[in-house]
Formats: sequence, C-alpha cells, structure tokens
Amino acid sequence: MKFRRYFGEQIFPPLIGIGLFLIVWMILAQGSEALPGPLKTWDSAVALFSDPFYQHGPNDQGIGWNILNSLGRVGVGFGLAALIGIPLGFIVGRVEFIDKMTSPIISMLRPVSPLAWLPIGLLVFKAANPAAIWVIFISSIWPMIINTAMGVRQLPQDYMNVARVLNLSEWKIFTKILFPAAMPYMLTGIRLAVGTAWLVIVAAEMLTGGVGIGFWVWDEWNNLNVEHIIIAIFVVGIVGLLLEMLLVRLAKRFSY
Amino acid sequence: MEASKIITVPEQHSRRDFMMQTGAILGSAAIMSMVPMGTRAAAWAAGSDAPELKEVKVGFIPLTDCASLVIASVMKFDEKYGIKIVLSKEASWAGVRDKLSNGELHAAHVLYGLVYGVHLGIGGQKQDMSVLMTLNNNGQAITLSNQLKDKGVTTGAALKKLVDSEKRDYTFAQTFPTGTHAMWLYYWLASHGINPLSDVKTITVPPPQMVANMRIGNMDGFCVGEPWNNRAIYDKVGFTATTTQDIWKDHPEKVLGCTAEFTHKYPNTARALIMAVLEASKYIDEMGNRRKVAEIIADKSYVNCPLEVIDQRLEGKYEDGLGKKWNDPNYMKFCNDGAVNFPYLSDGMWFLTQQKRWGLLKDDPDYLAVAKKINQIDLYKQAASQVKVAVPKDVMRTSKLMDGTVWDGRDPKKYAASFKVRA
Repeated sequence: MKFRRYFGEQIFPPLIGIGLFLIVWMILAQGSEALPGPLKTWDSAVALFSDPFYQHGPNDQGIGWNILNSLGRVGVGFGLAALIGIPLGFIVGRVEFIDKMTSPIISMLRPVSPLAWLPIGLLVFKAANPAAIWVIFISSIWPMIINTAMGVRQLPQDYMNVARVLNLSEWKIFTKILFPAAMPYMLTGIRLAVGTAWLVIVAAEMLTGGVGIGFWVWDEWNNLNVEHIIIAIFVVGIVGLLLEMLLVRLAKRFSY
Repeated sequence: MEASKIITVPEQHSRRDFMMQTGAILGSAAIMSMVPMGTRAAAWAAGSDAPELKEVKVGFIPLTDCASLVIASVMKFDEKYGIKIVLSKEASWAGVRDKLSNGELHAAHVLYGLVYGVHLGIGGQKQDMSVLMTLNNNGQAITLSNQLKDKGVTTGAALKKLVDSEKRDYTFAQTFPTGTHAMWLYYWLASHGINPLSDVKTITVPPPQMVANMRIGNMDGFCVGEPWNNRAIYDKVGFTATTTQDIWKDHPEKVLGCTAEFTHKYPNTARALIMAVLEASKYIDEMGNRRKVAEIIADKSYVNCPLEVIDQRLEGKYEDGLGKKWNDPNYMKFCNDGAVNFPYLSDGMWFLTQQKRWGLLKDDPDYLAVAKKINQIDLYKQAASQVKVAVPKDVMRTSKLMDGTVWDGRDPKKYAASFKVRA
C-alpha cells in the first residue's frame, strides 16, 4: 500500500514525462533525415559506453576520460572560485564600505558572457588549459560572492546586538553567528555556481581543444555524427544533475 | 642576441667579465654575437646535428591535407630522424594560431596566409613566424548550395548574373580571414566580377557550421579543404563549383608553420621535422599508397570521417555533384618530387599581394624581405638534400591563374595594384 502510493507519487510522473519526451523525439526524428531517433542513439550509446576508458593516443580517448578531464577542470576552477569568492562574500556582506566599493564592478562584470573571458585568459596565461579553468573561475565566482554576501546581510540585527552585549570577538561572531546563519545562502550560491561551471566548461573546451567532453562534442560535430552529439547532451545533463544532487545532499547535512 | 641563447658555453661568463674589466665592452659584444653563430655553422658542417628536442608537439586541423604529418608519425618516419612527433588535434585556426604563439605547439599544419598575417600583425597578435615547408598543393574547392543549383546556377558566370538580377544577401564562408580559403574564394568571385567584400557577405565559420547552414538554406557557398566539399555532396547539400586547382594549378596551400623563435632556438629539431615530413610526403605521393593513407587518416584520432568521403578525391577521382565525373591530374599533391614542398618566396609573397588587394594590409609591405624572413629556404635545402628530394634552382616560380594573370614574384607592388575588383 505504502509502495503503491510512493510509486504513484514519486515514480509514475517522471516516467510519464520521460515517455512523452521519447515519443516527441521519435516523431521529430521520423520527419527529419538528419536527426537520429532514440533507438539509434541508444545503440550508439551502448557501443560508446561499453569501453569508456580506452586510450588510442592523445587525440582519441574513451568518453570516460573526456568526462573526467572536464570534471577535473571544473573542480579546479570552481574550487579556486569558492576559495576566493566565499571569503570575499563575507567581507562584502559585513563591511558596508567595501560593499559599496565593489558593487558597481560586480554588477558590471557579472552579466558578461563567460566565453568573453576566454581571450583574456589566453593572453594572460599563454596556455589553453589554464584559460579554460580561468573561464570556469570567473563565471562561477559571482553567484558565490553575491549569495554569501546576501546571507550575511540578512542576518537579524538582534543577533549582532546580542554579540555586542556579550562582547564577542570578531572571530567568535564569525564562527558562531555569521557562518551558520549565512550557510543556506552560501550553499545556494555554490549550487548555482557549480551549475554554471559545468555549463561553461563544454563551451570553453569547444574553443580550446584538448581532452574533455566539450572538445569531444566539437570533434563529433566535425564528423557530423549527430548520435554522439545527442549522447553528449545527455551525458552533460546527467553529470550536471549528479553534481547538483551531490551539493543538495551536502546542503541538507549542513542546514541546522 | 637570439643566437647567443642557443649554445651556452660555460667560459663565456668569465671571459665576458674579464673583457668588461679590461674595458673592451664594444669588442666583447661583437665577439659574443659571433661565437655562437660560428659554432652553430661548424656543428652543422661536422654533422653533429642531433635534434635539441626529442618530442615535437605538432598541431593539426582534421582535414585531408594534414596527411603528411599523420603519416610521418604513424609510419615512424619521425623516429628515423631522432624526434617524436606528438600530434594534437586543434579546434580551429584561431586555436592553432594562439597555441603556436604561446608555445603550446612547436609547429603546426597551418594556412599559408595565416602565418604571413600573424607575422605582419593582421589576423592575430604580431609575432615573427616561420614557414618550414609547404605541405601540399591543390585539393580545396568552392561548394555552392543546392538552392543555387535549383536556380540554374552552376558556374561563376551564372552566379554573377543571379547576384546582379536578384537582390538579396548572398552569404559565402571561408575558414580564416587571412587564410588560403578566403583568398581562393575572393579570387574566384572577383574573377567573375563579383566583389567579395561589397557585393556579397563573406564570413568566417568552421566547416561543420558551413555544411549545417547550407542545409537550412543560410549559406550560398563556401571555400574549404577536403573532405568538406565532398562531404557536402555526400550529405546532399551542395555541389562543387570549382576546385582550387582550377583557380591556380598547383597552388600552395597548407604549410608547416612555427614561430621564428622556435626556428632559431631549435634549428636541428626543425630540420629533422622537415626531413620526417618530406619522407611522409614522398610516401603519400606514391599513388599505390593513397588508399592506405586514406584509411589511416580517416581514423577517429585524425580526420574522424567516413572513409568513402576521403578516399575518392585523395586518389584524384572527382565528381562535382552535378553528375560530372573526372580523373583530375591536379589532385592534392604532397611532394611531386619536391616541387610541392619548396617554400618558394613567390608563393609567400602572393598571399601578401592578395592581403593588400583586399585591404587587410593597409600599405605595401616589403614583400621580398618579409618572404625571405618567413620562408626558411636554407633549412629546407639542408633537409631536402639529406632525404634526396629535388630542390628547384630558383626561389621564385611562374604561375598562371584562372583569369590569365601571370605571377612570377617579380613586381609584387604592381601585381597587387593591378586587379580591377578590389577592396
């Protein structure tokens, strides 16, 4: 009984959604020669994932290696952004003067398309890989700064008053009040940031080359292999979803 | 100064100190700059020309004419000359340019005009460049869309009529603003009286985007290397209006390019690289090997393309997508007993004349001086003599292009100014 309710509420609706999606895809594929249908794509995917970790020289590696390489770049870029963005967010949220000082710059740079940063990265770092990481860094730092700052700013004034009465040190204020209070906001920022980072890596790799899911898509496009492009879209989507789920898990553990 | 970096003799410092102390500063500078040059020449003469680098990173774009680099690596011609070619597939010509300039690539399969453009600071940050050798002649084409065919346009003359009579935006694509495909496309359009800059729109896009846009009717024509023109026929989106060998028989196309810094720092490596690629070029020009070459380069690591799209034109068997089939005697050549590979100064200068013609260069450069600086004729000659590839006597050659004009490299300024259709 309990299972049936669970099935009806949790499993059934997504299944219907996926089913409808596949039907629409099939109909679209029927009408066009260029777009392969779900079955053809599935066959390609099975072939592709049966050996995800082969290595035929630097220009032909399994899909697994490509995904791992992309994740590595995202990890570094995103990690650096968190390392700098979160403390910066605290400072911006805590000190009004700095907030006013940085806000025009942040508001101006935030909406810039991530890829516009790539040429700058190439110029400064004189190498493709650091340039790709730089793009990840610069596009994922804004949500972290802004959300962390917001979390600090929305802190009820009462808490601070209490802190003043108790004559707490700035360090105590940070660890006992600011950090826990800002945590949910910070995690939202991190989640947004990791989403952007993963979104951007595909585009950045398309332009810089090397081993990674983005250049893999580009190479398959060069070959006009549409099945593989569709598979890559799913892979990118699923990995993005997993990253997000991982962070939601993390967020739940931290919310008091 | 460049040269003094190559060989560091330990005693130099003490000697320099000594000379400085004795006050002969001027004299010391002169001697310093002469010593390494002399040592270098002597070293080459004595045959101690071991490559300075064991691994050479060479970039390529997945096109049929990257074949000689792939063959040099796959068939191990590189190891014969003491180097290992590490091939790196690149995303775009702009990517190749950036990676050459920042040193991530030592050398690359690159468009002739791009190297000259970067050297003069157009189409890239100005940097001294080198052409080590020409990789191939011929084998590119101009594809027009099937929509144009439906309107009865199958030739340049018919295209001119349509552009004149039916006003709309006509879009043509090439692969890099200063590159070879841009120049072939412009030359062909201009020869039919169409100004590529004012009568039609010309844009730079990657080849797969050209085909994709042609499929949806957004692209009237493009000029690109094989296998893309054959691919357009295979995918039923367009037909071959002209091959580039019909614009200029045996025209120069891709070169083995690198920065001048690389050539100066690693002359022995550069020479070994030329030798390995020359051997591969000879191998590919044995027509019996072409089928095998097609199989090797069609692989996922390299061109990543169905074999049937590559092998026909590589073997000189053409069809234009309009029902005409022919055996082209001017198919893509990689060696032609050295006639392909020699970095003729007149070839390099031709690209400068066209870049001037189309306004990419504002003023006439010192054509001959630029070509002499970029094309590494001495290095090439040394390499060619080692692998027994014939070297032409003259550093210029005479070519007659589709419109009947003759280019012999003699008066580039006059030649550049002689065209009626221009920017």
